[in-house]
Amino acid sequence: MISLKQLTKRFGSQIAVDSLSLEIPAGQIVGFLGPNGAGKSTTLKMLTGMIEPTGGSATICGFDLLTQAVEVKRNVGFVPESGAVFESLTGLEYLEMIAALYGIPQDAARIRIRQFLTFFDLSFETLTDKLLGAYSKGMRRKVVITAALLHNPSVVFFDEPLDGLDANAAVGFKALIQTLAREGKTIVYSSHILDVVERVCDRVIIIDKGKLLLDGKPDELVAAHNSGTLEHLFTQLTGGAELERRAEDFAKTFRS
Amino acid sequence: MNPAPAALPPVVHPAPPQTATLRRLFLTLFLRGRSSRGLRLKTAPNSVGRKLALALLFYTLFGMVSLSFIGKQVFPLAVSLHSLTFVFLGMFISSSAGEVLFNKEEADILMHRPVSARDLLWSKIRVLLQISFWLAGALNLVGLFVGIYTTDGGILFPLIHIVSTILEALFCTGCIVLAYQLCLRWFGRERLDGLMTTAQVFVAVGAVLSGQILPRLMLRFSAEGLLTFGPKTWWIALFPPGWFAGLDNAVAAQGGPGSWLLAGIGLIATALVLWLAFGKLAENYNTGLQLMGETVSRPRPTGKRRWLEILASLPPLKWFSPVSRAGFILTAAYMFRDRDVKLRVFPGIAPMFVMPFVFMFQNSGHNGQSPNDPFSAGFGAAFSAGFLACIPLIVLDLVQYSQHWQASDIFRAAPMAGPAQLCHGARRAVLYFIAIPAFLILGTIVWFIHHNIAEVALFLPGMILIPIVALVPGALGRGVPLCLPNEEAKSAGRGLKMMGVMILSVLLSLVAIWAYQSGWFWWFLLAEIALAVPVYLALRAKTSRQRWRSID
Repeated sequence: MISLKQLTKRFGSQIAVDSLSLEIPAGQIVGFLGPNGAGKSTTLKMLTGMIEPTGGSATICGFDLLTQAVEVKRNVGFVPESGAVFESLTGLEYLEMIAALYGIPQDAARIRIRQFLTFFDLSFETLTDKLLGAYSKGMRRKVVITAALLHNPSVVFFDEPLDGLDANAAVGFKALIQTLAREGKTIVYSSHILDVVERVCDRVIIIDKGKLLLDGKPDELVAAHNSGTLEHLFTQLTGGAELERRAEDFAKTFRS
Repeated sequence: MNPAPAALPPVVHPAPPQTATLRRLFLTLFLRGRSSRGLRLKTAPNSVGRKLALALLFYTLFGMVSLSFIGKQVFPLAVSLHSLTFVFLGMFISSSAGEVLFNKEEADILMHRPVSARDLLWSKIRVLLQISFWLAGALNLVGLFVGIYTTDGGILFPLIHIVSTILEALFCTGCIVLAYQLCLRWFGRERLDGLMTTAQVFVAVGAVLSGQILPRLMLRFSAEGLLTFGPKTWWIALFPPGWFAGLDNAVAAQGGPGSWLLAGIGLIATALVLWLAFGKLAENYNTGLQLMGETVSRPRPTGKRRWLEILASLPPLKWFSPVSRAGFILTAAYMFRDRDVKLRVFPGIAPMFVMPFVFMFQNSGHNGQSPNDPFSAGFGAAFSAGFLACIPLIVLDLVQYSQHWQASDIFRAAPMAGPAQLCHGARRAVLYFIAIPAFLILGTIVWFIHHNIAEVALFLPGMILIPIVALVPGALGRGVPLCLPNEEAKSAGRGLKMMGVMILSVLLSLVAIWAYQSGWFWWFLLAEIALAVPVYLALRAKTSRQRWRSID
């Protein structure tokens, strides 16, 4: 479903993603992890056609990322970390606009939007009575997730999707992506909340400085490195083991 | 490949074409603004409509200057109308294009959708053109009818003027887009941001210069009867408004080969610009959009201090309160580094810099007036000073808007009762970096041209006004930097402010000149100072009493 071959992105002399090669089959939920600046968001932006790779190649659903970018985009859904929306539109105006970009007729879009509203426990009036700028962060995130799934994509990229969602919505969302995967969709899930990744994902990919560090099933990786949890494994690999001691030292500077 | 969503109903309304959806989206965003702060859904359609109607009314009123051409020839009327249109459209498009064409937030929403870059570009350009046509229509509305009552015009004038104005709007939009495309192609990504800003500022200044200089040159030659294009007035061909005026003259007044030549230049130039901007170089737009998603900053050499940091550590900045100093650095940094703010501020004040020069040179011994005529020579200096004194008002109004306005919530979270110190910091940045240098440059130029101390002295009434004018936004609670979202539709309000500034400047210069000619100049200055001091203190006190307004 997703195939990366030596995918590389350079910003001037700086290498953000360094010859990344991966194969992700349909129906898999992949946790895409790495410390800040590791190249996760750059990789996701490349795979969603937002930025062009400097080298290498990638195919999604059989479409080449460079030569068939629009086809790739038609088959992909993306929840960006920023959660950006057009704030001066109402939720309904926004979602209908997104639906139209995918060629979904208005009637079908409304039915689909109502299905999402029911799932997210939102009323239709919420979508019509308020501009998106007046939404809470969680409500806005629900709209962004709806906008990513509205066209029934085969591959979905989530960048910190739980940011702003309340506990109930988060539980529902996790169940949703597991169901979507069972129905054959490929989910790439980037997050810093590692216990969620550990519970939800079939496979974990950890990158740092643009390079692939680890790739495997979460429980097998944890067992192989004798780490106890994915969080410990992650800090071991990405140089965060000393963080707790440093945090204690730093906290001492707040003593009055 | 994927199971369709269950039980979708039969299609009644097919999806509109992508381009139509995008056009509707960008028009809505343009009219409502990109942020909803201060915009309520229930009143949004009305308030947006009112705002637009007010803008169009203002443009129509401004276009009434063409009434003075009744009974005159078509060519000077057409030059005047096209120059005015060129200035206003050039300003409008150059200040809006950056926000419309390259918007970072928009990249996160639209770049991963199945939309081609060409469709995006065309949708945005069509919206820009649509608004340009509205504005140009309002600006030329009165002129269309005036053209019928010119000596050599007639019923054909409105028809051909509509065509030539549409061509002019296309030319203006094409030039701005072309400036972007060329920067992208020639200079690459790393220098794109700064260069695009500079290019747009130059295009805006060029539009103002071209629009202001041509009609004045025409007036200057009017005494010699040179109101048409010919060998002695070859320079008209250098100014785009002249090309489109040539088309009007050729068709409506059966102008000679000169008019047809100008019209030909205009048509070829417009076609060439459109072909380059929207055809040949349009594929670059995709690259430009992708660059929005790439965040690269050049590494700063270690141990090297930025000039702003050095400046902040020197007197008088060193003596200000830390909050005022922070406001100063923040405002200055955004005025010189942030593409969005630069694109609003510098094209916004371009006419304020250009107008004084135009007046100075217009009154420097031509137009049948003696270079030694104290009124004609002095008025230019006094008017220029009055005009420049209002620069802080315009700039402080413009620096309130930023794409990063949400970050300004930190001001409210900080332990400050009100925005006074921040306003003072912003005010000082505008004074130190824009208003005072503008005065010094203009004063030096006046001295070099005229070698007349009296003219330099006529700068003083305007200079005394600066500290007061700079305090007005803060006293009205509107001087906090970078705290409001961009709303392109507000540009009409700025136009009204410019009108007010011009009227005030003319009044001040007339009084100053009267005082100068009556031998009361120094007494006038003393009186102005005596009045200015309490007003200054009152405005400072009012600024200090300002409290944070509620965020709606």
